[in-house]
Amino acid sequence: MNVLENLKKIVSDFLRGKEPYEIAVENFVKELQKTLLRADVNVKLVLELTKNIRERALKERPPPYISKQEWFIKIVYDELSSLFGGDIKPQVFPVKTPYIIMLVGVQGSGKTTTAAKIAYFYKRYGYRPCLICTDTYRPAAYEQLYQLSKQIDVPFCGDPKSSDPIDIAKKCLSYCINNNTNIIIIDTAGRHGYGEEEYLLKEMQDIAKAVNPDEVMLIIDASIGQKAYDLALRFHSATPIGSIVITKLDGTAKGGGALSAVAATKAIIKFIGTGEKIPELEVFDPRRFVGRILGLGDL
Amino acid sequence: MFRKIKELFKSITTQIVDTIKYRTVSPEEVEELVNEVLLRLVEADVAYDAANIIATRLKERLLNAKIPRSEKVEDFAIGLLRSTLLEILKRGVSEINLLSMSSERKPLKIVFMGVNGVGKTTTIAKVAYMFKKHGLKPVIVAADTFRAAAQEQLREHSKKLGVPFVGGKYGADPASVAFDGIAYAYKHGLDAVLIDTAGRMHVDVDLMNELRKIVRVSKPDLKILVLDALTGNDAIEQARVFNEYVGVDAVILTKVDADAKGGAALSVIIGIDKPILYLGTGQRYEDLVPYDPELILKLLL
Repeated sequence: MNVLENLKKIVSDFLRGKEPYEIAVENFVKELQKTLLRADVNVKLVLELTKNIRERALKERPPPYISKQEWFIKIVYDELSSLFGGDIKPQVFPVKTPYIIMLVGVQGSGKTTTAAKIAYFYKRYGYRPCLICTDTYRPAAYEQLYQLSKQIDVPFCGDPKSSDPIDIAKKCLSYCINNNTNIIIIDTAGRHGYGEEEYLLKEMQDIAKAVNPDEVMLIIDASIGQKAYDLALRFHSATPIGSIVITKLDGTAKGGGALSAVAATKAIIKFIGTGEKIPELEVFDPRRFVGRILGLGDL
Repeated sequence: MFRKIKELFKSITTQIVDTIKYRTVSPEEVEELVNEVLLRLVEADVAYDAANIIATRLKERLLNAKIPRSEKVEDFAIGLLRSTLLEILKRGVSEINLLSMSSERKPLKIVFMGVNGVGKTTTIAKVAYMFKKHGLKPVIVAADTFRAAAQEQLREHSKKLGVPFVGGKYGADPASVAFDGIAYAYKHGLDAVLIDTAGRMHVDVDLMNELRKIVRVSKPDLKILVLDALTGNDAIEQARVFNEYVGVDAVILTKVDADAKGGAALSVIIGIDKPILYLGTGQRYEDLVPYDPELILKLLL
């Protein structure tokens, strides 16, 4: 059963009950709130979303020949999909080359693995990707991306001796361009940007200034909780986020935090990571994701 | 005869005094307050189901509570919430002391586990640093033979810390690496063996079986689950599955410095009832502090 069918069943179950329509709506909205909160969607977003749904469901009248059930389900689906920018599969192929992508995110969200996955994805479509490591903090960050680049046979650039990420970014960018590559993927150090790490947001800005990326990609862990909204907002105000990759969707996390990040940044979700191996990257499919958030079936 | 009347009279007066001095809250008021609390807890990353348990407990207490008229209901409720939370958080305090344990066992064998990216490797470096600072000798064992550069990362840490390191080739059997590490510790009379394992999704049956094998072979004194404090509802699920598969003795919560509210602590305690040993509060080796219920409470409210 597809997601929409499933959702329909839940709604009609609600509406088929003996309660009057208003109470059925109220009950459904409560249930929906619970589901979204369990999926880690930001509390304020949930309240706003369900408020809209309730208002529309109670005020607007269904057009002729359309049942209340169908009308209600349409409202729920509309509101949910407008949360992450609509029902369209994202466009992942660049409009120009060379195309520079800069990856940012919190420690451990999966940036380095994702960098290699994206390189591999584009390589398979005939692009010539190049990987750059600018993480000068984490031990063996250079080796990690280097090993991954060897596995997928893609040019790699970095400097394990340097501690200046901006300088590395600049030098490696010209290395990649001189090597006739056309998708340049820049991996950066993990940062959360709170407290003592505030200066790391500035550093991220400086790297962006130095390389002028065509796209800044926020890598976000599917299991992240309520902090996702604020975190994404902080990253976004430092360096406008163009797209989002949700990682580790092979676990049990529902990924609602990522949805909250989307709402905060108005960026689009492009890819999802579904495993630790390099080919385990998929183009984002909004419908399936809404299904997952609602706990209807799996990917 | 008079005694009875006197008693009756007395009980009536206390009743009157009670109604003047104290009051109860209406069920509607309680409902509203408790709902607010539930959302606040969820916002602090307490998993929904755990938050619900706390909210229900609070509700019971509020419904039967006699509130002094001089006190605002909100203040009273917050006081009640505080004590309810603290009661649960205190269950997370443990008797486990790694340092004294290591001199008893010599070597103390610890396996660190968790899903990908929670901070296992960095946490191990921090624990190694703590041992060293107390004049104890640990060995770091890199039983993550899968992730690119996992070996190099730990080797660099151990070099910086001046701590011996035992690793293995990529693709090697992690259980045999763990075994080598323990043998090394016995041979050199070390105090602790800190075994790093690859990050694994709790739903990946093959990798969970691999972890089981590591545990079977190394027979650790402690199995420590590393959890990311930024995790939301999934914290319970992760803790529960690791506990079912290999058993969890204690938890370390990382990335608490990322303005995390610490709700994951409550989720873990309610979800699997295991103690929390330390909190990771930064990237430096010193950034590991003992678990403190009051500190988490402060973050939560």
